[in-house]
Amino acid sequence: MSDVSSQPVLAEQPILGPLARPTVQAWEKRSAGQKLRMLSIGDGALSLGSILLSGFVLVLLASLIWSVLSLGVKAMSWQFISQNNIYITPTTSLEYGGVGHAILGTVIIVGLSTLITVPLGVLVAVYLTETREKPRGIVRTLVQAMSGLPSVVAGLFIYSALIVGLRLGYAGWLGSLALIPLMLPTVARVAEEALRLVPQDLRNGALALGAPAYRAFLMVTLPAAKSGLITAMILGIARVIGETAPLILTVNNTNGTTVDPSQPMASLPTYIFQFIANTNDTSVQRAWGAALMVLILVAILFTAARLVGRPKKAKK
Amino acid sequence: MSEVTQDRSAAAAAPQKRKLSTKPHARADRVFFGLARSAAYGAIVLVGLILVFLLMRSAPTLAQQGPAFVTGSTWNGSATPPVLQIGPMLWGSILIAIIGVIFAVPLSIATAYFIEFMAHKRVAAVATIVVDLLAAIPSIVVGLWGLAVFTPVAAGWGEWLNKYLGFIPIFASSTGNFQGTPFTAGWIVAVMIVPIITSVSREIFSQMDRDIINASLALGGTKATSFFRVILPTASGGIVGGVLLGLGRALGETVAIYFVLNLSFDINWGQILENHGGSVASLILSKFGEATQQEIGGLMAAGLVLFIITLLVNWIAAWIVNLAQPWRR
Repeated sequence: MSDVSSQPVLAEQPILGPLARPTVQAWEKRSAGQKLRMLSIGDGALSLGSILLSGFVLVLLASLIWSVLSLGVKAMSWQFISQNNIYITPTTSLEYGGVGHAILGTVIIVGLSTLITVPLGVLVAVYLTETREKPRGIVRTLVQAMSGLPSVVAGLFIYSALIVGLRLGYAGWLGSLALIPLMLPTVARVAEEALRLVPQDLRNGALALGAPAYRAFLMVTLPAAKSGLITAMILGIARVIGETAPLILTVNNTNGTTVDPSQPMASLPTYIFQFIANTNDTSVQRAWGAALMVLILVAILFTAARLVGRPKKAKK
Repeated sequence: MSEVTQDRSAAAAAPQKRKLSTKPHARADRVFFGLARSAAYGAIVLVGLILVFLLMRSAPTLAQQGPAFVTGSTWNGSATPPVLQIGPMLWGSILIAIIGVIFAVPLSIATAYFIEFMAHKRVAAVATIVVDLLAAIPSIVVGLWGLAVFTPVAAGWGEWLNKYLGFIPIFASSTGNFQGTPFTAGWIVAVMIVPIITSVSREIFSQMDRDIINASLALGGTKATSFFRVILPTASGGIVGGVLLGLGRALGETVAIYFVLNLSFDINWGQILENHGGSVASLILSKFGEATQQEIGGLMAAGLVLFIITLLVNWIAAWIVNLAQPWRR
């Protein structure tokens, strides 16, 4: 990439510039110096614009992270991480209560979802990479199209199918189900990439030694793609850990600590949603504290994904 | 006579060509591929189920409200019969998504260009991580930031636009209040779709044939002319796909818009600095808590409309992106 830009192209332009545009009369009349200046203005504008605009993206991200860090840290303390929300009103001082129950709820809801989605997503990836069946194109397109599924629709789906349809009560595991269609596209896509990176020769070698296809996959392809598949799982978790709307529609928020997913449970996103609805200073600070917790979890997952993905991932 | 025997002996000597087949022959293999196949079909069935259930629950409301459901602009759940129409919300979703895309496209293409063609390898690696990190930030955190930090900033920008460009109808403002505008919501959506468009564009750029860029430079093209006349046109297919993926995401954005936008059934046709607008997804979230039975039907129908639109947009986007990335097949 950089070898193109580092070539001394500009020096040749006074001679070559007119050759590229032999029909433009106005261009021909200009002196070589003028041409060079105009061309370099274009180049400068492109470089400057590119740097400014990408710098702006960086500023947005920095502002986002800095706000969460600086505002969230005010609420942060050991009891904020460990305690639950019983007896806490919007005006209770920050010395009492916390997000312990919400962290636990998030871990359980997302964990259950992961247990179902990761095998499903990896199997979809297997279908896309290891078989030569015709509908692969449709499946791939559909899975990618699913990545744009509005999260509120996923919640409505579980609500209409199970809560209205089967008359089940609000419960943590329903939230896990609602997260599946949101998590599946990420897992399937990253897993597909991981399996695709395994050289075809490895598979052929195993098959040539007489291994049935399933053993070739389990004993050769799967170990070779292991780190990529773990990355797929982690990125899938990171994708859904902050999802709010589906949980609001399917899991009732609670203030107490629950470990039973058949009951309503708290989760970090719904905790933020609950407290930002009040305008008291302490409520808002609790919301920022919970947002910082979410961001910390995402950062941990993100770092884990990079660490796991590093040794195997050969850059194309 | 001798020819015949020769033929026979030749036929006997040459071993019969075995039929080669790559089909799974063992039972375990069939189970293995069957599992993979059922998972893949399961994904299709899942989308079908979403469609079926939303359709089932919203059919009575849709039948009762008729086509005015998507064109009308009244929402009154307590009237008998209830009048449930989502016109302003539907238009608002589209408007905000378009604003978001308009802001996000230059940012994304510039970032992708910076990463692929300008930055040193190490800087590019860091920039890639930054973009991925932006993608990993949950929408509720973006919404919280949008509500507390970004809204005043965007209101300032809005005020400036209104002051100097207010004579253009879209920048007009009747209230002088620049909070909760579609402009702000568009920016929030842009923050969330920049990583999507950037990563697709970057991948298209990185897989481009370097020879045509070098050829353009050798013919006397500058970096700028090569970019606008060679790189962009060649990559445009994939970039359009990426933009559509972003658009699909923007249409379905829920919590973040709910935080920063002043939802109103007073339709806002395109005055992006007026402090009211609409969003179907946010409507569902805001009405869901205290909705009556009839209103729930209306919200299901709104979800159905949203789902169909986003699925269409995303399907076209995914199709274009796959078409533009033949190395993935």
